[in-house]
Amino acid sequence: MSSISTEAKVGLFVLVALIILGYMSFRVGEKGFGLKKGYPVHVVFDNATGLEKDASVQIAGVEVGRVEDISLKDGKALVTLRIVPNVRLEKDVQAKIKAYGILGDKYVDIVPGTLGEAYIAVGGDIVRTEQQADIDKLLSELGTIAGDVMEVTASLKNSMGGAKGEENIRAIIDNTRAITEDLARIVRQNDAKLNLMVDNLSEASSEMRRTFATLNSIVEKIDSGEGTIGQLVENRDAFDNLNQTLVSLKGITEKINRGEGSIGKLVNDEDTVDNLNSSLKSIGKSMDGIDRYVSKSEQFKTFLSYRGEYLFDSGDGKGYIDLTIRPKEDKFYVLGLVTNPNGRLTVTDTTPAGGATARTETWERDELLFTAQIGKRFKDIALRGGVFESTGGVGVDYFALDDRLQLTFEVFDFGSDRNAHLKTYAEYRFLKHIYLSAGWDDFISNEGGDSPFVGFSIKFEDEDLKYLLGSVPMPN
Amino acid sequence: MNRISAAVDRFGRAVLDNIEEMGRIFILFISVLMWMVRPPLKLRLIFKQMEFVGVKSIFVVVLTGTFTGMVMALQGYYGFRMFNAESLVGSTVALGMTRELGPVLTALMVTARAGSAMAAELGTMRVTEQIDALSVMATNPVKHLIVPRIIAGVIMLPALTIVSDFMGILGGYFVGVPILNINAGAFIKNITKMVDLGDIYNGLIKAAFFGLILSLVGCYKGFNTTGGAEGVGKATTEAVVLASVSILVSDYFLTAIMF
Amino acid sequence: MIKLVDVHKSFGRQKVLGGINLDIEDGKTTVIIGGSGGGKSVLLKHIIGLLRPDSGQVIVDGVDIASLNDRDLNEIRKKFGMLFQEAALFDSMNVMENVAFPLRAHTKKKDAEIRQTVAEMLKAVGLPGVENKMPSELSGGMRKRVGLARAIALHPQIVLFDEPTTGLDPVMTEAINELIIETQKSFELTCVVISHDVQSIFKVGHRIAMLYEGKIVEYGTSEEIRGSSNPVLRQFLSGSLEGPISVM
Repeated sequence: MSSISTEAKVGLFVLVALIILGYMSFRVGEKGFGLKKGYPVHVVFDNATGLEKDASVQIAGVEVGRVEDISLKDGKALVTLRIVPNVRLEKDVQAKIKAYGILGDKYVDIVPGTLGEAYIAVGGDIVRTEQQADIDKLLSELGTIAGDVMEVTASLKNSMGGAKGEENIRAIIDNTRAITEDLARIVRQNDAKLNLMVDNLSEASSEMRRTFATLNSIVEKIDSGEGTIGQLVENRDAFDNLNQTLVSLKGITEKINRGEGSIGKLVNDEDTVDNLNSSLKSIGKSMDGIDRYVSKSEQFKTFLSYRGEYLFDSGDGKGYIDLTIRPKEDKFYVLGLVTNPNGRLTVTDTTPAGGATARTETWERDELLFTAQIGKRFKDIALRGGVFESTGGVGVDYFALDDRLQLTFEVFDFGSDRNAHLKTYAEYRFLKHIYLSAGWDDFISNEGGDSPFVGFSIKFEDEDLKYLLGSVPMPN
Repeated sequence: MNRISAAVDRFGRAVLDNIEEMGRIFILFISVLMWMVRPPLKLRLIFKQMEFVGVKSIFVVVLTGTFTGMVMALQGYYGFRMFNAESLVGSTVALGMTRELGPVLTALMVTARAGSAMAAELGTMRVTEQIDALSVMATNPVKHLIVPRIIAGVIMLPALTIVSDFMGILGGYFVGVPILNINAGAFIKNITKMVDLGDIYNGLIKAAFFGLILSLVGCYKGFNTTGGAEGVGKATTEAVVLASVSILVSDYFLTAIMF
Repeated sequence: MIKLVDVHKSFGRQKVLGGINLDIEDGKTTVIIGGSGGGKSVLLKHIIGLLRPDSGQVIVDGVDIASLNDRDLNEIRKKFGMLFQEAALFDSMNVMENVAFPLRAHTKKKDAEIRQTVAEMLKAVGLPGVENKMPSELSGGMRKRVGLARAIALHPQIVLFDEPTTGLDPVMTEAINELIIETQKSFELTCVVISHDVQSIFKVGHRIAMLYEGKIVEYGTSEEIRGSSNPVLRQFLSGSLEGPISVM
């Protein structure tokens, strides 16, 4: 083993770890395989409780997609599904939210449509949905039913419970027995009479049949317009009258339409319409105001960034930690620390009486410098002023490519014994939080401090910070 | 009265000392960041530390990972059997390992093995003036001694955690399937169904963070050792305690942020 | 070349240096003597910038090193070599790597060249052929010699010795003293030696400074010191219990 070098051991181990990671990622990621390429379909549910992003979309228990997004639309839940490309959905498919078991995760179940129907287009909508009775509703209904049952049993208990109730029941049972006994007796005594009654009944029913036949013939007569009732039903005049009434009604509505009559005036008056319009507009405006207020609070952003710079000529590293607060889109404040290994050199010449001039070089080992700036942004250009590396200064930033690229020029440290500190650089965002920069620091320096530099920075935007600040549970 | 004020005094001083120490560790971290971007990076030193922190910890991490997975499978089995859901044992083990136990146990084991060694080694170097000797020879001790250890910690902890995760799941499988007779297909299917890529990757981010903590604390304690052999012993103990506590506390906050 | 101007240093409430003024002559060996725990090592650490004074200046070649940043301080340090009390060899490296360390860090020499330089240095300190030994395998005296080889590997102008003979037997003490004298001569070094070993002081020192209660109380050539009537110095040199230095 001793023949294997340290580098080889470390390399081998990292390789093995990466292979295991790759294997695990592949196995775990399998279920999402091919879903990325799918097409989106929208569906609106009245209630999407419990449905989460990335929940499964299934047809007959086979996964055909995932829930991509859930948002609110007109008080309902707009759910965007991403369906795998080789599955086509007919226009009349039905979507429902179901759960695995009573307590399981929610998923979207799609009931296939009629074969041969047209397919839903990419980005189209599933129109038919069914609200599944969810467990909460079920439980609450069960609750009311149980309440009803309880009431019934309670009143039953009231009327029948206790000694008195028992007595009552016994009396009822006694009475019933007496009645049935009487009945039995009556039946026994009147056997012959009963037989006669049945015979009569049979006769009466045949009589009835005859009566119905007669009725039938009367109705037929009415139908053909015979007799008074028949005439009334078949008379054309009645219909004409009705028609006339309808015609005059139509006339009135037409008049209203043309602006005749008082109702018509009210409806057709330009002023009224204007009034209506303006009041609608003012409602719209106040909505806008609310909108602006809401978006204002959304505009408030905070950024935390670290930037490291490597200066080629001196071989130094410079580190910046900045907190940027942006209360409005076009206004921001920057507070930060700069670690500068260089410090600042002060040269003093002292000439003692009669002696030779002695030169002392003192380095202010002021390694921690401060940044405190206020800035305003005009479209693609931002102007900044304030404290740069613990000295006064101004800076200008130019943004391009959707703010991916930033060109910066700064002037600060206007000391009398040296040239101002000028710095210019470009910064480019190549990953979500990662920026690379390159530029020239202090390029008119008369102390030999000028140097090209490269750097990288990490910026956390407020989303991440919100996450950090918002989701860390605070002990009370 | 006097005794009470003395107690309050002591408590206040302890709080201040702790805050001061945190500040010092943070300053050390900042200077590590600065030295890290200043070439030349001494690759040989980094590899040496990576071997020490990573390769030499494989055995202990494999051992703890495997047995943790096994015991989780066993415990989970007794619980899930009540609901006839034995096949969930696999996903429980896998989620537990990838999210929490993999990173945390690995970090604690490496703290005990390598974090303590860092404190002891640097502490000895401090008390025998070897760190001063480095400075005298115009070599920055932070760059020469601490930067490689921090880099090694941050890179090797995730790598070890991957091994720990995998061995834990494997251990769970060997207890679950052959011994407890859980259906192998359901066992694995539940793992792939319940575990997300995010679980694995967030676990690894945690591990990298823990690697930073344990190497930073180990180096800080060692670097600031005073008082001879006894001081080295004290620094080592303090490094292990502080790093372990920091790992567990930060684990809570990282979990709160990530999951 | 090295000049200390009114250097003050305290650790907490304990005042260690209370206004040191000292000129160290080029090309000579200056011995700083004083009682144990009297701040000699602290003084030495100020000269090489391991400690920074609370106030005052430490001027090396016209530059106040107390105010330098780390990078420039490192440049100055390349002029220095230092032999620590316990040699401070890196115990993770063998003798070869130890002596080669400053060469690898600050020169672009090839490996073969470095090996050759290391061998020369080890020969100069009288330990040829120990390259592959680990520091733990060496005796205290050998360690100090390897430490000296490491200190002079970059051919510095100034070498600092922190109690070079402490803890050695009389023969080894003698050997180390000879070594200091020889090295000083052959490399034309400015040496600063800290010691409380009276035998060694007059052997190696061209100039002697007495540190007492945070101040230099006496400074001069070895003859001047021998003839000094300063009671502190007299008591220190004679090792008497009676005098201004209180033991308890």
